[in-house]
Amino acid sequence: MMPFDHVNAGSPGEAVDLLTSYGGKGRLIAGGTDVLGILKDRILPDYPDVLINLKTIPGMDSIKESGEGLNIGALAKLADIASSPEIKAEYPALSLAAESVASPEIRTMATIGGNLCQDVRCWYYRYPHHMGGRMLCFRKGVGPCYAVKGDNRYHAVMGGKKCFAVCPSDTAIALCALQAKISIFGGEGTRTLPLEKFFTPMGNVLRSNELVKEILIPKPTQETRQAFIKFTERKPVDFAVASIACVLEILGGRCMDARIYLGGVAPMPWHAEAAERIIKGGSLDDPTAEEAALASVAGAKPLKGNAYKIEIVKALVKRALLRRQ
Amino acid sequence: MRDKAKLKMKVNGKTHSVEVEPDASLLEVLRDQLNLRGTKKGCEEGECGACTVLIDGLPVVSCLTPALKCQGLSVETVEGMEDGKKLHPLQEAFLETGAVQCGYCTSGMLMSSRHLLEKNTNPTAEEIKIGLSGNLCRCTGYVQIIEAVLSAVKKIKESEK
Ligand SMILES: Cc1cc2nc3c(=O)[nH]c(=O)nc-3n(C[C@H](O)[C@H](O)[C@H](O)COP(=O)(O)OP(=O)(O)OC[C@H]3O[C@@H](n4cnc5c(N)ncnc54)[C@H](O)[C@@H]3O)c2cc1C
Ligand code: SF4
Ligand code: FES
Ligand code: FES
Repeated sequence: MMPFDHVNAGSPGEAVDLLTSYGGKGRLIAGGTDVLGILKDRILPDYPDVLINLKTIPGMDSIKESGEGLNIGALAKLADIASSPEIKAEYPALSLAAESVASPEIRTMATIGGNLCQDVRCWYYRYPHHMGGRMLCFRKGVGPCYAVKGDNRYHAVMGGKKCFAVCPSDTAIALCALQAKISIFGGEGTRTLPLEKFFTPMGNVLRSNELVKEILIPKPTQETRQAFIKFTERKPVDFAVASIACVLEILGGRCMDARIYLGGVAPMPWHAEAAERIIKGGSLDDPTAEEAALASVAGAKPLKGNAYKIEIVKALVKRALLRRQ
Repeated sequence: MRDKAKLKMKVNGKTHSVEVEPDASLLEVLRDQLNLRGTKKGCEEGECGACTVLIDGLPVVSCLTPALKCQGLSVETVEGMEDGKKLHPLQEAFLETGAVQCGYCTSGMLMSSRHLLEKNTNPTAEEIKIGLSGNLCRCTGYVQIIEAVLSAVKKIKESEK
C-alpha cells in the first residue's frame, strides 16, 4: 500500500472541514472494509494523502426507534443492525439484508453508510495495480468498458449504458423498498432525499464536501409484508448475483401497495415498477406472481454472458411475492 | 515519509505503546512490531479470515483495520488464548480432532470460534458454520473444524460441572 495519513474527525462538521481543506486528497473511512481494499490494490490513479476517520464521531452509530420510524446513524454497524430485535421485528427486510453481507468479521466492522457508498466490484475496475497495472476503463474516466466484450457474467442486465458494473449494496434495495430517506451533511448544511434518488449510474449524488449522516425509515404499517432474498454462488461471503427486496401492503387478502427493488442486476437499485403495477389491487396468487416476474425483467438487455441472471430474477420475484410471513 | 503516530492499546491484557506508520494495519503492527506472529496474513482483502482477532471482544479482520483505529482499545490474539501453560479447550479440541493441517487458518478459526462460543454456549453445527463463514480453510474440508468446536463445547461443559 502507498503511504497515507490518518486523522480522526470529532464531529460531522470537522469531517466536512477536513474534506474541504484537503481538497480532493482526503477520503472518508468508516469501517474501512471497502476503501482499504481499493487503496491496497491501487485501482484508482488518484490516491488520497489522508484518510478521515469517521468512527471517532460520537453518537453517529445509534439506532433509534420512535413512533414515526427508525433513525440509523451512518456509522451503525451491520452486525448491530442485523441483531437488533426491533429491526428484526419491524424491518425484517433490512435485518436480512444486513445479515447477508459478507462474514461476521466484516459485519462487525462495516457500517451502513459505507455499505451505501461502497464502490463497484467489477473485476476489471478492481484489477490490482501491482499485478501488471490497473485497468483504466470508462468508469475511471479514461478508456472503454472492458465488460462489454469481456467476461460479463456478473454485470448488469438492466439499466447499463456506458458502465455495466452493478450496485453491490445489499442494504440499498431493502432500504429503498422500505422508503428510507437519507440525510446528507455538508458545507451547505443538511439535505434529505429519498434513498432512491441518492444513487446514480456512476455512484451517488454526494458532493466532494458531503457525508452521509443518517438513514430515516418510516414505520411500516400493520399490514406490511416484507421479503429480502439474495442469490449468491457461495452462501456466505459473496455478493449478490441477483437479489430482491419487497415490501407489500396486504389488506383483506389484496395487495394494496407494493414496492419491489432488485439488486445485483443494474448500476443502481432497480425499481421494478412494472411488476408492482401488476400486483397492485389484486390478490397474490400464482398466475399474478408469474406475470409480475415476467414484467420485472421486461426490457432487460443482457450482455453475452449474463442472460442467466434474468431467469434468476424471475424466480426471486415469484418466490418473494408468494412468501407468507 | 509521514510522521509516525503513537498508538496505545491493550493486547492480550497487556498495555503496549508503539510508534506506528499512519497507514499500518493492525495485522502488520501485531506481527512486525509486537512479534505476535500467530495472526496470519492471507489475502489482505478481508476474504480469508486468517488474520481474525478480537477487538473489545468482537471479531474483525486485522488486515483491513488501520492500527490507529485501535487507540485505547483491547485486542485479543491467538497468543492470549492459553491460560498459563494450559491450552484453551478450543485449542485442545482442534489438535485432537485433526482440525489443523497446514495450520494457516487455525488462529483465525480459533478466534472466530471463541467469539461464537461467547455468544452462544451451545451452538448447532449449522450455527458453527455461520459463525465461521468468514474463515477459509484450504486443507481440512471444514468437517474436522466443526467437530472440534462441538468437542470444545463438551469440554467446556464438563469442566464447569
Ligand atoms: C470479503 C468482503 C465481502 C463483502 N461482501 C459484501 C456483501 O455481500 N454485500 C455488500 O453489500 N457488501 C459487501 N462487501 C462490501 C463492503 O465492504 C461492505 O458492505 C461495507 O458495508 C462497507 O462499509 P464500511 O463502513 O466498511 O465502508 P468503508 O470502506 O469505510 O467506506 C466505503 C466507501 O464509503 C465512503 N463512506 C463511508 N462512510 C461514509 C459516510 N458516512 N458518508 C459518506 N461516505 C462514506 C468511503 O469514503 C468509501 O468510499 C464486502 C466486502 C468484503 C471485504
Ligand atoms: S463495467 Fe464499468 S467498471 Fe467495469 S470495466 Fe466497464 S466501465 Fe469499468
Ligand atoms: S488476511 Fe485478512 S482476511 Fe485474509
Ligand atoms: S489447515 Fe490449512 S488452511 Fe486450514
